[in-house]
Amino acid sequence: MPSWATITLIMAAYLALTLAVGLRAGRGTSASVAGYVAGDRQFGLLVMYFVTGATVFSAFAFLGGPGWAYSRGAAAFYILSYGVLGIVPWYFLGPRAARLGRRFGFVTQAQLLVGRFPSRFLSALVAVLSILAFIPYITLQMRGAGIVIEAVTEGRIPLWAGAAVAYGIVLIYVLVSGVAAVGWTNTLQGIFMLGIAWILGLYLPWVLHGGIGPMFRDILAHRPELLELPGLTASGDPWNWGAYSSAILVSAVGLTMWPHLFMKAFTARDDRILRRTVVLFPTFQLFLLPVFLIGFAGVMVVDQLAQPDFILPHLVLSVDLPVIVVGLFCAGALSASMSTGDALLHATASVAVEDGIRPFRAMGEATQRSLIRILVVVAGGIAYVFALDEDQSLVVLLLSSYGIIAQLAPPIVAAMYWRRATTAGAVAGLLAGSAVTLFLFLNPALRPWEIHEGIVGLLVHLPVLVGVSLLTPPQDAGHTRLFTHPDLGEEPR
Amino acid sequence: MSIRMIRLAVAGFFVLVLLAVIWPGALLFRRAEPFVLGLPFSLFWPVFLIVLSWAVLLGLDAAENRARGRHDRSAEGEG
Repeated sequence: MPSWATITLIMAAYLALTLAVGLRAGRGTSASVAGYVAGDRQFGLLVMYFVTGATVFSAFAFLGGPGWAYSRGAAAFYILSYGVLGIVPWYFLGPRAARLGRRFGFVTQAQLLVGRFPSRFLSALVAVLSILAFIPYITLQMRGAGIVIEAVTEGRIPLWAGAAVAYGIVLIYVLVSGVAAVGWTNTLQGIFMLGIAWILGLYLPWVLHGGIGPMFRDILAHRPELLELPGLTASGDPWNWGAYSSAILVSAVGLTMWPHLFMKAFTARDDRILRRTVVLFPTFQLFLLPVFLIGFAGVMVVDQLAQPDFILPHLVLSVDLPVIVVGLFCAGALSASMSTGDALLHATASVAVEDGIRPFRAMGEATQRSLIRILVVVAGGIAYVFALDEDQSLVVLLLSSYGIIAQLAPPIVAAMYWRRATTAGAVAGLLAGSAVTLFLFLNPALRPWEIHEGIVGLLVHLPVLVGVSLLTPPQDAGHTRLFTHPDLGEEPR
Repeated sequence: MSIRMIRLAVAGFFVLVLLAVIWPGALLFRRAEPFVLGLPFSLFWPVFLIVLSWAVLLGLDAAENRARGRHDRSAEGEG
């Protein structure tokens, strides 16, 4: 049997296993919306750990990370620097959101916001912004899956077909099992990709350069600019400190505001599990190290790859690894893509229905569940179309959507911590911040010092939120207290 | 040390971490040399900060649990 056929078989076996786990996972949950969207609030530590980790370890990290290290050097280190900073606020925000969720029955972020700031417009606005940010994120996961399959089958299965097969499977288990499938498949996929990342991250530098130290010495001698912060731009010129620093800031602010991560506060069994997830999160960040080592291993070996995102599959195929290792690598990369993609698809559809449609149109639980399922397919379809004719780098795609998501942070924090915040303030701030972000995204030349548009958006957002809130009459004290002091009067569980 | 003080100290620590990875703090750690554990310094530095942050988070969690345990015991006493 030719080696590509063996590799394809290993991938197929792995995909079948994922499908089986995903389908089994849904058996225990109830047929309610809380069951489909929030897993009946029954996720334990193991599953929560991997669900959180999968948001870091997506196709973005597995393919985009090495791609950036290979082509832009130290610029990639921003990805190492924001994660822990981004998750720390979650130690306090997460359990508080979870408490409010249990008390008022929230299953999405916008419901929490609207609970505090009653406004159907706000709900729809959050839904639209979330979906705007989600589509490029799903697109990049699909492209990632397609890239891997196309590369290892030597083009026999082209990108469009590979992405279709991998995401066909994701669709099946998300449709059948909802968030429970996301949880359990992420656990399987997480274990897989972490193992593969470390094996390849240590093995490739060793086999290509005789070790990690010698590899970096070699790069320092020939391409020293790659190892000095803030690295290079995509075209190979030195990158700008403003862009590097603001990429860290916007990603740290946005990290826990991603609805698919935030909504997991409503899936955890108790607060203790959420806090422990935060404490264990840095271990996931450390798994980015081998990913960068893989990218650097390619620097002195592979000349000017037209699409740097292909560096990892390219290296794996060029160093004569045993076929079984290549097959497992593919499974790991597919895991990275699918474990994030499934959570994203599920969250996009849940947000669209719960926040975009339901506030305007009453509907029964059964209708909601079917509508979420239909929208999972629609969102998948839209992202798939973009995945086919997009030639942006995976990292750039993600970084753009972070600008929008970061705008959700001020109203969320205000809802839970600032009693003087008002509905008008929250709506005005969100509108102003998002408008500035989108405007600068479309006119990047206007950004001062190349600062990320999302940070400029926040600089406008915050004063508007505070100013308009102070100019409008305060909310009823009894109402705000329920959100800023959720511990008072909660019945013991 | 009270739990409030510990939280403040932890917040202060993470503000320092932030300042150390963005401009201008990161200027101090931008170079490739010296190599540490085979890694260029510009890469070793963020990795080191992750490990250090992990240790601080473990400490915070332990302190929070102690404080929560005390809180629960005193609540039982009142009941």
